Amino acid sequence: MLDLLWNGLFNVAQWKYLLPLFAGTFIGVIGGSLPGVTITMTVIVVLPFTYGLDPLAGLAAMTGVYVGGSTGGLIACCLLGIPGSPSSIATTFDGFPMARNGEPGRAIWLGVWASVWGGLLGALFLVFLTGPLAAIALEFGPWEYFSLFVLAMAMVAGLTESSLLKGLISTAIGLLITVVGHDPIGSVPRFTFGSAFIGGGFPFLPVLIGIFAFAQIMTDLEKLNSPRGQAVESLVGVRLERFSHLKVNLEIFKQPFLLAWATIVGLIIGILPAIGGSASSVMAYDQAKKFSKTPDRFGKGHPEGIIASEASNNANVSGSLMTIMAFGIPGDAVTAVMLGAMTIHGIQSGPLFISQNPDIAYGIYAAYILAHPCMLLICIVLMPLMLRVTSVRMAVLAPVVLVLCVVGAYALNNIMQSVYVLLLFGVVGYVLVKLGFPLAPLILGLILGDQIEINLVRAIMTDANPWLFLTRPISGLLLLAAAASVGLAIWQHWRHQNRLTEEEPDF
Amino acid sequence: MSIGRDGIAGLILLAISLVLLVKSFQLPSLPIVPVGPGFYPAIVLSFMAAASALLVLQDLLKRRPAAAAGAGEAPRRNYRLVVIAFAIVGAYVVLLPLVGFRVATVLFVGALQAALDRPRTAQQWGVLAAIALGTAMVSYFVFERYLLVLLPRGAWTGF
Repeated sequence: MLDLLWNGLFNVAQWKYLLPLFAGTFIGVIGGSLPGVTITMTVIVVLPFTYGLDPLAGLAAMTGVYVGGSTGGLIACCLLGIPGSPSSIATTFDGFPMARNGEPGRAIWLGVWASVWGGLLGALFLVFLTGPLAAIALEFGPWEYFSLFVLAMAMVAGLTESSLLKGLISTAIGLLITVVGHDPIGSVPRFTFGSAFIGGGFPFLPVLIGIFAFAQIMTDLEKLNSPRGQAVESLVGVRLERFSHLKVNLEIFKQPFLLAWATIVGLIIGILPAIGGSASSVMAYDQAKKFSKTPDRFGKGHPEGIIASEASNNANVSGSLMTIMAFGIPGDAVTAVMLGAMTIHGIQSGPLFISQNPDIAYGIYAAYILAHPCMLLICIVLMPLMLRVTSVRMAVLAPVVLVLCVVGAYALNNIMQSVYVLLLFGVVGYVLVKLGFPLAPLILGLILGDQIEINLVRAIMTDANPWLFLTRPISGLLLLAAAASVGLAIWQHWRHQNRLTEEEPDF
Repeated sequence: MSIGRDGIAGLILLAISLVLLVKSFQLPSLPIVPVGPGFYPAIVLSFMAAASALLVLQDLLKRRPAAAAGAGEAPRRNYRLVVIAFAIVGAYVVLLPLVGFRVATVLFVGALQAALDRPRTAQQWGVLAAIALGTAMVSYFVFERYLLVLLPRGAWTGF
């Protein structure tokens, strides 16, 4: 294994791969630092640039965006008090107060270094645990796969912040999109209504770009020119005070338990499908506060808060990569795009991915590891530039991002149909956001829909007994966990409602 | 009992699921496959219909408080701008195959920038034009020349 990793590192260290990795990391840091531009949007923008590259170079660029974006978000958090990307949300709680207290440099570099160490610790798990996880996945039959996918969707729907029902409906909409077109077994057209436009079904990436990037930009445009949007207290233009990298690192390593625990929280959240970096950073922050000897200092510029949040959101990346490589399930929206990019390059992700594509698998490990020093170098050299970047106006940013989204969709097959699909789902995504439907379950349903159907039909073709889904031990356990996940979400919702009722004053 | 936004959304989704559910039962089955092509969509649609019906019910049972005095404090949303932005994007998508990528992109980036933040001075108009031209040219050269992606040609312009 270590030989393969060395080969991977040596391979990715060549200019052919290092350049896309470096460029991806740079774009990721910039994209992450721009408020309103998510990592998913950045990876979508970079996607068309990777079409012409070889698979590993393209995936290295995307891994770079992912790592860079996870860190870049902290710059806006510390200077503007608003998260550059959702995965840095908890960094705002202490990063902005610390910057306002006259220590913006300390806040930013604590975050950058915590990201590096959290990410590299996560890399250990990524390298050593992905293989065993894939070996477990190899034992799975169609029943287990079906149940695993059901569990993934139940968890995502249950963990969404808005209502469980809306999460479940959103999942169903995602699944429904995948059944439009020809059925995967007999190629019978379904729900096409005789239209050539949807005869082949909806292409995955334009739908994803439409739902995520378009809907996100339009939601941001709503806030443009609002007095509240203009009233953000900003530290842009501030000069970072002199600081010592050694001192910052000593401050981090004075808290080895915090660093390790935040990393593990991030990793676990990353492995769980489609929960994402924002949940991991908030959860790690919450854990840090619970374990801290000085919980009252949280929210007032406490370094522990920054360390926990940033170490966790970078470790989250490694967890997401593990899930995509071992099970073929995207850990979040970014890995969903990566999964799409793999398909474009003819690579099938899943339990056989590592054994069938060791060069690419270990190349991804290597790219993930090398992205961290790249990110650090970019931050050290280009911090003054990045401080300016955070003030780029949305009026300039939105049209450019939208053009790249259109090109990204069009370049998939060089047909306008993909662009029409992009626009259609841009509207659908925006409407769903406005109605309070979470998009993560929809995306997961969209990604897993085909696989769920194939595994369901395959299981029934092997043995028509439907009880096998429950009586096969792993499958049964997974379905039980799915039911428990939904049950827990209902219970939590009920408890929350009860608490609200109790707190409601009588007039 | 009055129906709210969730209830209306639930009703629309319920109607869609029921129409498609009927369609799924009409799909032909194949002799070699034990379950037909409508089997899985029927499961998904039944699930969606049930969840949508529950959403409607939940909305109907919800205690709807009278409009609070502080309701006006919610952040103001610029929906007009969103509608304009969607219209400009729509026009861009329509223009792409007619006037080609380069012309359509210059027009799109310029129009959307002007809609989002109207320039007031000649210099601001110059910056807007430079960004519009720059975006079109850079993306054209990178994608068409370097990445060999054949971007849309205009049926009217020929390039």
